Amino acid sequence: MKKIILAALITVLAGCGTTIVKVEGDQLVNNRMRVRVTDAWNKVSLVNNKQPYDIWTQEGMALDQLRLWAALPSGQSLVVSTQSTPSGQTAPRLPTFMAGMQPDQLVNLFEVMYSVDGSLVTMNKVEPTVFAGEKGVRLEFAVMRKSDGVQLNGVAWAAIRKGELYAASFVAPRLSFFPRLVSKAESVVKTAQIQG
Amino acid sequence: MKTPGLTRRSALRWGCGHCLGMAGLFGAASALAQPADASLAPTSNALPDRFGRPSLDSDEGGLWAMMDREETRLRRSPFVLRDKALTQYVQDLACRLGGDHCPDIRVHVVRTPLFNANMAPNGMMQVWTGLLLRVENEAQLAAVLGHEIGHYLERHSTERLRDAKSRMAFAQFMGLFGAVGALGQLGVLAGSFAFSRDHETRADRLGMQLMQRSGYDGRQAAQVWENLLGELKVTGGEDAGKRSPMMATHPPVETRRADLLQLAGTTPGRLGEDEFLKATSTHRLDWMLDEVKRGQYEESLLLFDRMLAKRANDAQALFSRGEVYRLRAGPDDFAKSLADLNETVRLESAPLQAHRSLGLLHKQRSDAVAATQAFEKYLSVAPDAPDATLIKTYISGLTL
Repeated sequence: MKKIILAALITVLAGCGTTIVKVEGDQLVNNRMRVRVTDAWNKVSLVNNKQPYDIWTQEGMALDQLRLWAALPSGQSLVVSTQSTPSGQTAPRLPTFMAGMQPDQLVNLFEVMYSVDGSLVTMNKVEPTVFAGEKGVRLEFAVMRKSDGVQLNGVAWAAIRKGELYAASFVAPRLSFFPRLVSKAESVVKTAQIQG
Repeated sequence: MKTPGLTRRSALRWGCGHCLGMAGLFGAASALAQPADASLAPTSNALPDRFGRPSLDSDEGGLWAMMDREETRLRRSPFVLRDKALTQYVQDLACRLGGDHCPDIRVHVVRTPLFNANMAPNGMMQVWTGLLLRVENEAQLAAVLGHEIGHYLERHSTERLRDAKSRMAFAQFMGLFGAVGALGQLGVLAGSFAFSRDHETRADRLGMQLMQRSGYDGRQAAQVWENLLGELKVTGGEDAGKRSPMMATHPPVETRRADLLQLAGTTPGRLGEDEFLKATSTHRLDWMLDEVKRGQYEESLLLFDRMLAKRANDAQALFSRGEVYRLRAGPDDFAKSLADLNETVRLESAPLQAHRSLGLLHKQRSDAVAATQAFEKYLSVAPDAPDATLIKTYISGLTL
């Protein structure tokens, strides 16, 4: 049985066309935000699951994720639904950025984004910051992940420039992974610079 | 275990995770919409004897063993509310409904903001906080729990186990790549409709029998359905009641309310509203905030509107509705939010977060004095709030 399940898993993953490439040095996110990578990260591309952010990981998607958004326009959601909406029905709401949002509203976007699968999000610290050279907000939070009950810690940064959102978030299991990896994420985020 | 190819995850999909009150109610409604079939009715008012543990080498025994392992995992889950009083309250209600089966029923209250309850064949019952937030009284909770106990008493999970063998490969596939990501997209978790229409009919009738035998007003079962149908229509459209959201092959369900009322008859009964509110009061605001964080604002507004229609001075519901308007930020939402939050802070039992939200609204409309006043009130009550630094920055900016 395990072999059958493994075969199905491999088949589906192959169909998804997920690619993972190592990233080092200067990297451009959505051609609008440059970051300098001091440690090697793995960039994950999901061919059939195009999200408006870059996903990087150190240990694998299930363990840690650094998400980077650059120049997200007003009216666009932070995540894209991978499920189609049946005819005659309305798609569920997604956390959607709007130009002119206040810092507390940006915080709410991340709360909703990490709660959407039934996970529970607790905000631990919210403070002003400078991200990518712009005044913004930094938040620290905890996530109780619904799918497996794993308790995660997270940190996120967000700022608006010319009506577009620039943001990053890093989430990993509270025990071991987050304490070990968060400084690597912070070191990437600190180098963020908006292009153009 | 004789069932070929049965895995824990696939079994959980019918046995544990997806009966749920709502799916049950949907399925039952569709069945009830059909002419009454006497063969489906419970043959007497007597409940079956308590079940002994089935032999491990039987399919049912294997299912029990898997549910036992799942329950061990559930007990360790951080989602389980460690509130003895609340758990005991729900446990006592389940016991009253289950009668002699009480010693076999073990209730676990799970903190997840979706409408869901289910009962596994080994007696493990999950009640999610989204259900506790949505039902209005003890009778409505009894209607859902009674329905789940009905499935348990008639051992529908085992029947489904035997029936589903030919669909095993599909179930395994869905078990691996299931709808976990879709959970938060429905205020009502419209699951995989684990039971057949006949099972739902029987569970509904048995559930009604159990709640009325325990002295509750059976008509409240219809009210649960009506309330939930309203939420389903937000994303499901006006036809939400005519089709199941997950399985297009299920027949229409729009007559459910009338069918449940017919089942209930005119027998009066208890609502248990005060008892229910008292038992859940400690957690109610947290559950409302969980609901707001789902970001499904239209569904949440229906819920909070319903709460406020019953009690206009419900400070927690008023705050939560004002918060939804503020976060949705649509046309007219600012004024509605301002009205709700102003009203909230006038009430003695106003949540402290209402002052913060009010301050943010005043700041948005450049009323520096009112914003500062609201922020200072918030910080005076919660000086160590997670966002205290940000709020202090706001105050500094306003007073410059």
